[in-house]
Order: sequence, then structure tokens, then C-alpha cells
Amino acid sequence: MKPAVILVGADKGGVGKTTVARALADYLTGKNVLTRAFDTESPRGTLKRFHGDMTEVVDIDSTSDQMKILDTLNTTQVKVSLIDTRAGALARTLRALRDVGFFEAVHEGQFTFILFHVLGPSIASLDEIAETAPFVADADYFLVKNHVNDSTFFEWDPATYQTYFSNTRSADEVTIPKLSEMAYEQVEIAGAPFSTFVANKTDDGRPAAHSFVLRGYVRTWQAKIAEEFNRIQLLDLIAGAADKK
Amino acid sequence: MQRRTRVYICCSPHKRTGATTTARLLSDYFIANGRNFAGFDTDPQEPDYGARFPNAVAIVDSTKVQGQVAMFDRLLVHDETPKIVDVRHRFYERFLDTIEEIGFMDEALTAMAQPIVLFHADATEASLAASLALARRWPDLCMVIVTNKGSAPLGHDALDILAQFPSRRRFVIGALDTTARACLEASDFSLSHFLLTPPSDMSIVIRMGLRAWVAPIFAQFQTFELRAAMEGAQFL
Repeated sequence: MKPAVILVGADKGGVGKTTVARALADYLTGKNVLTRAFDTESPRGTLKRFHGDMTEVVDIDSTSDQMKILDTLNTTQVKVSLIDTRAGALARTLRALRDVGFFEAVHEGQFTFILFHVLGPSIASLDEIAETAPFVADADYFLVKNHVNDSTFFEWDPATYQTYFSNTRSADEVTIPKLSEMAYEQVEIAGAPFSTFVANKTDDGRPAAHSFVLRGYVRTWQAKIAEEFNRIQLLDLIAGAADKK
Repeated sequence: MQRRTRVYICCSPHKRTGATTTARLLSDYFIANGRNFAGFDTDPQEPDYGARFPNAVAIVDSTKVQGQVAMFDRLLVHDETPKIVDVRHRFYERFLDTIEEIGFMDEALTAMAQPIVLFHADATEASLAASLALARRWPDLCMVIVTNKGSAPLGHDALDILAQFPSRRRFVIGALDTTARACLEASDFSLSHFLLTPPSDMSIVIRMGLRAWVAPIFAQFQTFELRAAMEGAQFL
């Protein structure tokens, strides 16, 4: 299995990027896929707060941090690297990766690259897609509609949609369903991964007293997300086994 | 064998089938036997059940997460205090969807709670279909088919109709004559209070009528509990 880089990003803040990254971290951990994560929200990191044991906060514009991520892809035992990009920095992160030759290496088959592009509910998201197009030629590219914070997405006009996608290899859509606001807040307060909350434990593994109802909602929500990741054959993509579209 | 805490869910997809009456009767049964219970009325707009037992019944909005937390978290507490939920017919489907979404049935097993659905039947095809759907949804569910001869009489074909329902366990609530019924439905009338200390100024006819009505109902509740205890007994 070649090393895989999963990038979660958006060019707009507040679209729930880190929620998607957290869901991915939980899913991969649940599937026993050893994963390390990088939070580019330097100097503090939200992903780090929830998945502290696997996450390192990095500055994607810093050469030493770029080396920390990319130069270790082949040497580390952990084959999946999950990068949660800072709000509004997807295009910049992609450019930084291009500048260090990452996409060439992906093209040569050294690495697997999977991009989860979290969309906002506005028309600006279509411009983001166009901007992302040059970087995803060899990627498994997913557009994420995140409903967790009750976003309602505009109805994309098919003609406009086609215009944006004419320069992009077809992208699959991933839907993150809505989670009860109260349940989401309680996980935030717990400061633990979703799966730890569901297991009624604190972040350091002690028994907790979380509401059964809220745990139930989070468990069902996670199951729906897992169905989505299974549908896109995420594990096969990571293993390099799924057919490229 | 450790006894599980019973959670009685009084429900029906249709109105006027007597679900609230059963919730009330169960509550009075426990009070008359000197036992505690915890009740939940899921109709915050017209909480008939909650209004009758203000100290023991919580009024919750089961369509809101806050209400669900207040109710379902409490239902899973294994304290051997029976729980009674009166599900309003208009929230029936949503209530079941919530139970499924939060995984209540599975959690009840591990939490030593035993949900018992008191499904209130009527003579319609839809009632039968709803009970069959319920049994398909949770095949291991303990379901009791309740027929209230006053609210939703099944008519001459009662036995044939009941035979189609997916459970052999049954409660039958008899019909009350109009005068006794009016007395029972008065907002300030407490059945358990009446049973423990019958008011001296009450008509002897009504008194006897109410006693005759309630005795077989309580006998069924008692039989149900005894049977469940025997089924759970370790050395029988």
C-alpha cells in the first residue's frame, strides 16, 4: 500500500471542514486504519483539540512543516495522513503542495491523493471548484455537502454546474447529514472524538455521563457518514484498490 | 435473575383508543398498591395525563431534543421504578422514529429496562397494519394489545379482529356507563384516592360501578406482572 494523503479543505470559513476531518478520523480509527493528522490551523488547532493523540498542528506555508508532512510519507509506519486545512486556505494549500512537487509524485503513482472539498451554501462554492480543478487531475476528488450545521444548499443549475465541471475530472458527492444541534454542542463541550462520546467516555478514557439520547443521535449520524464513506469505497481508495474514475 | 425495570409505552396511531386512560389506570394501579412510578406525558399542549399526576408525571415535548433527553434518559435508569409513557396519537410515528434513531431498544437491553408497548387497537385496517409494522420493526418487542370497549369497541367480530394482531398478550378495558364515566373524567377525580378512601358522599351506584369496572383491569395488570416475574424466576 502506498502512502495516502487525505486533504479536507474549503475556501470559505464556517462550512464545517473540521467536522468532516473529525468524522474521517473517527471512521478510519474505527476501521483500524492507522492515521496521523495535521491541523493547519496554526498556532492553535480545532482538530488537535478533539484528536490530540494523532494530530500535530503545522503551518502549511512553512518549509520545515511541509517537510514534516511530505518527507515522512514514505518513512512513517502510518500510511494515511489526514490534513485539515485552515479556513479559507484550500487553494493556497494546493498551490503549496504543487510548488513542492507533490502532485507530480501523485501523478507518478508514489502517493494516493484524496481531496474532500467542503462546499459552502453559496454560489461562490462553484468558483472554488473551478479554482481547484488544476490540482485534482490525479486525485480522488469529493465534493462534500455538509448539513451538520443546517446548511441548505442552493439548487445548482445543471448548465452552470457543467460549465464548472467541464475542466474537472468528475467528482463524486459526499453528504454529511444534519446532527441534532444539542448533540453537536455536547460533543464540543466534551472535547472528545465523536466515537468516544458515543462510547460514553471522556477524552482520557474514563466513564462519562453523557445523555443516552444525544449519544444515540451521534451514533446514528456516524453510521450514516460511514455509509457514505463505504459508498465511495474510501478504504479501497486508500489501499489503491478502487478503480479510478 | 435480576428484574428489569419495566417501561410501559401506551400508544396508538389513532385518537380515542384509550391510551391515556390506560396510562392513568396503570398509574393508579401503582399508587393503590403503594408503589412509585415515573410517568411521561408527551402532549405539552393538552397534557391530560400529566395534569392528573403533577408530582409523578413529567410533561415533555418528545419532538424536541430537550424533551427526548428528559424522557428517554430517565426511562433507561434501572431503578425498578416502573415508567409509563403516554404517547399522543399524533406523535406516534415520530415517537417510533425517534426510538429507532437513538437506538433505544438496544440500549434498553443493556440498561436492564424492558419496554412494553401497550398498543391500543381499534377496528380499522390501519390499526392492524400499524401493529404489524411495529412487530416487524422490532421482532423481539414485548407488545400487549389493548382494547378499550368504551373508547374503541371492536364490535361483534372482536375475536376475529384480535386474532390478526401480532401479539397474544392482551388487556381488555371494559366500558363504563355514562354517569360513572363522567365521574372518572372529572379533572379533580383521582381513581387511586377513590379506591383507597372512597368518598362518603358519592352515589353507591357509581361507587360500585367504578369498583366493578376497575377490579378486572387491575387484576390483569397484576397477572401480567406475576407472569413476567414467573418467567424471569431462576428456580421455577
